[in-house]
Amino acid sequence: MLEIRDLHVKFHNRDREAVAGISLTIADGEIMGLVGESGSGKSVTAMSIAGLLPRKQCDLSGDILLDGEDLLHAPRSALRQIHGRRIGVVFQEPMSAMDPLMRVGEQVGEVLRIHTKLTPAQRKQKVLEVLASVELPDPEGVYNKYPHELSGGMLQRAMIAAAIVIHPSLLLLDEPTTALDVTIQAQILELLKKLNAEKGISMLFISHNLNVVRKLCRRVAVMQRGLLVEEGDTDQVFFHPRHPYTKRLIEAIPTRHGKETV
Amino acid sequence: MKKKLNAYLLAGLIITGALLLLTLIGAFHTPHDPNAMDSLAKFQRPGAGHVFGTDNFGRDIFSRVLKGSGTTLAIALATVAIGAVFGTLVGALTGYFGGIVDDALMRLNDALTAFPSILLALLVISLVGPGKYNVVLALGLVFIPSFARVTRTAFASLRDVNYITSARLMGASNLRILAVHMLPNTMRVLLPAITIGFNNAVLAEASMSFLGIGVTPPDASLGYMLSEAQSMFARAPWYALCTGGVIALLVFGAGLIGEGLQKMDREVA
Amino acid sequence: MKYALKRILTLLLTMLLVSFLTFAAFELISGDPAQTILGTEATPELLAALREEMGLNRPFLTRYISWLAGFFSGNLGISYRYRIPVWELIAPKLEVTFWMCVVSFVLITVISIPLAVWSYRFVGGPLDFVRTAFNQLCMAVPTFFVGILMSWLFGIVLRLFVPGDFPDLHTDFGAALGHLFFAAVCLSIPRIAMTVRMMRSTVIGEMQKAYVRTAISRGNDRRAVLERHVLKNSLTSAVTFLGQTMAELVGGSVVVEQVFGIPGLGRLLVASISTRDYPVVEALVVILAFWVVLAGTVADLVNQQIDPRLRLGGDA
Repeated sequence: MLEIRDLHVKFHNRDREAVAGISLTIADGEIMGLVGESGSGKSVTAMSIAGLLPRKQCDLSGDILLDGEDLLHAPRSALRQIHGRRIGVVFQEPMSAMDPLMRVGEQVGEVLRIHTKLTPAQRKQKVLEVLASVELPDPEGVYNKYPHELSGGMLQRAMIAAAIVIHPSLLLLDEPTTALDVTIQAQILELLKKLNAEKGISMLFISHNLNVVRKLCRRVAVMQRGLLVEEGDTDQVFFHPRHPYTKRLIEAIPTRHGKETV
Repeated sequence: MKKKLNAYLLAGLIITGALLLLTLIGAFHTPHDPNAMDSLAKFQRPGAGHVFGTDNFGRDIFSRVLKGSGTTLAIALATVAIGAVFGTLVGALTGYFGGIVDDALMRLNDALTAFPSILLALLVISLVGPGKYNVVLALGLVFIPSFARVTRTAFASLRDVNYITSARLMGASNLRILAVHMLPNTMRVLLPAITIGFNNAVLAEASMSFLGIGVTPPDASLGYMLSEAQSMFARAPWYALCTGGVIALLVFGAGLIGEGLQKMDREVA
Repeated sequence: MKYALKRILTLLLTMLLVSFLTFAAFELISGDPAQTILGTEATPELLAALREEMGLNRPFLTRYISWLAGFFSGNLGISYRYRIPVWELIAPKLEVTFWMCVVSFVLITVISIPLAVWSYRFVGGPLDFVRTAFNQLCMAVPTFFVGILMSWLFGIVLRLFVPGDFPDLHTDFGAALGHLFFAAVCLSIPRIAMTVRMMRSTVIGEMQKAYVRTAISRGNDRRAVLERHVLKNSLTSAVTFLGQTMAELVGGSVVVEQVFGIPGLGRLLVASISTRDYPVVEALVVILAFWVVLAGTVADLVNQQIDPRLRLGGDA
């Protein structure tokens, strides 16, 4: 469904490429993990897929194909269709990612307003449904609240709701649980699993936290300094890592009984 | 990294520099005696011999403008100096030491800056009378609060920065910290504030002199000349146009410098 | 509702403080009012009689309270210079200046906000320099200079109004408003430039924020981002600035009234300061302070409507 071929991204104000030739595939309905430390290029990869990189400030080459259609070199008009409609994005910090002066309900329904011809009443209906499906206890209440009136965990659920309400082909999640408490993290992961199972939305889950990725993703790719160093089924990568960097990452995971060994 | 030309700074410096230069020269030499009346040359249009034309007394306007801008500049610079020096002092002390005094002073400060500065200056003038020194006093006093606010913010934000803390730990006295470490860093905010203050001073003094409560004859600032020019606008519009134009150019130049400084600041950040 | 009451209470307390300080300050400055009115040749008996009549022998607080009460009853004392009640002197001029400031304020608000949003498209481009330079130019030209030019062009050449001959507000409101219009335009030009400049930098700052990226990721184009998200978020600083503008307009009106021959507060203020007409100055100071504080309070209340985070009493 999503195919990345030899993606190169270089920012004008940096010397080294942020992404130095990556090829990746995500199948329909799959949850893929993308791990790496800061600076590995994982977020940049995600932003290139989403079409959110400022084109004037970087050089892009390669191909990104969504169901066969070129995303990377798409013209502005096509991008607007992709944004929100076919690709949804969930960002790291839900509090700052939301417009502080717009009610949550309106923001969750924003993609519907932009991409569909539903009436406001119909939109509200759909929003309430999706808010319930992300396990928010009081959808009507949440609908009318402002972002600062909700907790981080609830906001992130709302962000997920906003991204999936229109049933996009792909959901990009850029460190969605990093800013949340550990217990909430676990809940969000369960939620994502459920949504993937029920609605079949493909997901690309980006994180620096291997543990989190392991719980959620069927396949995982490891990036280091702009390059893809390992890729495969999660269990495969975890128990039989081939690349030394992967091994180091796994070894660094703290557990209750000391470091995990392979 | 390419360094882009800061057009604002360049244009501003050129304009302001040219005006400063002309005014400086004008302090020592003008084409005609600014006060020399020539009844044969009344109301002459700008042309050879009289670049800006003549007024109702036959006086050369260009020479008068040179002298007048000297007065305007002197007043504006003196005003900004008073405001900046005392304002920085107040801002440094309250920003650095903080506490209740800081809170109270800043509330008072906000109340003062909310009031239109020209009205406050009017009040001071009502107590001390008009005249160029009193204008400097009045406007200088009125400008202290805004400089204080700007520098106080800068000093307060620097208070807990790492290198200040380590300087303190090493035993540096408060005075040393303030003068050596903090002051240079407040230049960043101080310089744009000075250009804005300069502009406000020029315009305020011009307004006050225009109203007749600013400089008094024989001193003639550009504002005072504009009030003269208004009455003869029909017969000699060039008087008002040249005088007003020079004021505008002065403020415009300084304003461009201010924009340039802000742009420079943004690019470094 | 609670936050609104709190703000109004602050307003009242501030006015109490300001009026007290003003009254005290003028007590100190003005010397003996009886002397001022009767002149240097008055006999001690006449002076004492007048002092008694004016109630100058009452304790300080009593005089302050009765003066303060005068703002509500319309009795603010007698002008030294004109020998008529202060309120009679001020009221018609207050009206005129009020309307001029209102027209000016409306012009500023209606023009600068859309202009600021529209000018965002030039950011980073070559036209930005032209736009910014023009903006600076508008702020540089002295208001009274523009006034002289406009007064000549629209008044004398085009005969759209008669400079110096101000129609009575009550008999011909339309003509008066027309006369005020040109003065208001003069007043507005530099403030429009300042507001546009301020708003533009706010908009630029907001466009860097995270929620803009989210908005784009949902399919908003730049115009939608500006109009649906950024505009509202930029509004609070604009409203505060406009509140300050309302206060500053009175300062500017002082000069503009002189140029256009408008019988407003500004000219009265300058005149009474020059002639040491303290009762008038006293009253005007308090009225102007009230104007300033009221503008700030209204701005705050409007902002609390726009940004619900402000209702919690903290900074957003």
